[in-house]
Amino acid sequence: MRAGAGDRAAARVAALTEALAPLGAERADELSGAILVLPREALSAAARTARDHGFDLLLDVFAIDWLAYPGHRGRRFSVSYHVHAVAANERCSLRVHLDDGDALPTVTGVWPAASFMEREVYDLFGVTFEGHPDLRKLVTPEDLEGHPLRKDFPLGESPTLFNDGRFLDPATFRAGMIGGSEGRTGWAGGARKGVLSAATAPDAKGGDA
Amino acid sequence: MKPERRGQAPDGSDRGGPGRDAVGEFETKLMRINVGPQHPSTHGVLRLVVDLDGERIARLTPQIGYLHTGFEKTMENRTYQQAVTYPNRMDYAHAFGHDLAYVLSAERLVGAKVPERAQRVRVLLTELNRMASHLLFLGTGILDMGALTLFFYTMRERERILQLFEMVAGVRMNYGYFRVGGLAYDLPEGFVEATRAFLDDFPKMVEQYATMFAKNDIFVSRTKGIGVIPPEVAIANGLTGPSLRASGVALDQRKAAPYSGYEDYDFDVPTGTAGDANARFMVRFAEFEQSSRICRQALERLEPGPIKDPDRRISLPPRSELETSMEAVIFHFKLVTEGFHPPRGEAYVATESARGELGYHLVSDGGSMPYRVKVRVPSLVNLQSLEAACVGGLFADMVVNIASIDPVMGDVDK
Repeated sequence: MRAGAGDRAAARVAALTEALAPLGAERADELSGAILVLPREALSAAARTARDHGFDLLLDVFAIDWLAYPGHRGRRFSVSYHVHAVAANERCSLRVHLDDGDALPTVTGVWPAASFMEREVYDLFGVTFEGHPDLRKLVTPEDLEGHPLRKDFPLGESPTLFNDGRFLDPATFRAGMIGGSEGRTGWAGGARKGVLSAATAPDAKGGDA
Repeated sequence: MKPERRGQAPDGSDRGGPGRDAVGEFETKLMRINVGPQHPSTHGVLRLVVDLDGERIARLTPQIGYLHTGFEKTMENRTYQQAVTYPNRMDYAHAFGHDLAYVLSAERLVGAKVPERAQRVRVLLTELNRMASHLLFLGTGILDMGALTLFFYTMRERERILQLFEMVAGVRMNYGYFRVGGLAYDLPEGFVEATRAFLDDFPKMVEQYATMFAKNDIFVSRTKGIGVIPPEVAIANGLTGPSLRASGVALDQRKAAPYSGYEDYDFDVPTGTAGDANARFMVRFAEFEQSSRICRQALERLEPGPIKDPDRRISLPPRSELETSMEAVIFHFKLVTEGFHPPRGEAYVATESARGELGYHLVSDGGSMPYRVKVRVPSLVNLQSLEAACVGGLFADMVVNIASIDPVMGDVDK
């Protein structure tokens, strides 16, 4: 099962890697296939180059928030452009890394399919795309503030209250299972809906502290 | 009584009102119309903002998100095996396709080896589900054009497929029968015979459908030349699946990058040339035969054998071992309480769902839950081609175009 997309004879991908090398592209392949990591400034030029190399079908644009990734150093977000060359049946990913607040140039001029995809990234991660013709939220309601797929967006579950007054916060509990935090009962503050504890009684708002 | 000339005052004098002579001098204002989100022909909660120039569509903007559930975020907070619950809730019409796409990516990440029998069963169920999905598409699509009869026939056949799924998974929707590393349990007794019986009957039904709609004058005149999407426009807009193949691009991930043993099956990829609504209907209709071919081959090659990866770090040990082996108890406990930990990395396996390319991009941080789940859903991207298909066409044809692109709103909104 480990063999797959990355093992296909990839002449186009190799040619694209070579063509993008002057722009500062580096290969960082994963099991998901070939990944070309680019500097943020080179994205527009790289997108045009990729299309000219036959990568005409943009399959997906998606972001990853590396905030909580153990041991991650570097910029917070990465945005990947998954492209497919229909005639040559090859595919690869272009990837840029960026900090919170950085904007990316849109690729809708190169691949019109990016329209919804960039809106989705904007909606769920808060990455803006300069020059997008219609950059609005895509799936979340208009009155929702924040970007739900960011790692610091609260899950909004109610913590469990035990008889002895101990709280169990689901997010901390799960993080504890994978070694991501100090322990499984790290609940500190906030009150369960309808239950006021002495510590938080004056301004208890609900469960999602 | 002498008929009045349009635009002429009753006394015969021309008052300069809107008349035949004035055609072409008037500017029509665009009228904005809202369709949905609760409209039977939008197949779910799809809302379209349509700007009309007379009867013709000048602009069309889909407004989506009414069914957004945050599955990606939810799956990022479940273990890999727990997350099996969620994929099938996205595209509820081709649920096994989503199940398969998810487990394939997770298996590539963790390095599981799926036994032969499990692969065959997966292909068999996925193809049966593709047929069920296309039956739903065909029935409701033609229902949108006003033909009620075929709907009952396709629902009858779909019911038989759903009964097969009920035998396997115990439910008619949201199966969750595939697991990372294999299947939840083996096929029930009598399933193979029942599937054979269905596959024997099905070609007759398909023939019956063909006589009911394919050459029907009303159907042909409502779909021929309607909503043409040229191949280059389709590719630019990211269209995949049967809708793309109807435009003449033979892109099918089952052939382009075979997974789950699809390379062993003998089947064709039907394509169209016209790229219109008719071609989109006929390509899906032709896929009935190809899917049944794959199902028959899968049944023939279905040998008894294991249905799970024997690796104890991935699959639960058999119940009998728990009574005799301490080690098995430990593995069982570890798997149930925290699940397995794939090595760090990213995996993506492209699959062909009934609607187009479907894949799960999983990022592992070495923990027992995926760090990032990104679903490449075909319906969302395909919806972008709707404007290309509709603009310049009649408002009444928009319904046909929506049906022929076949979006499932759970698949659009995630």
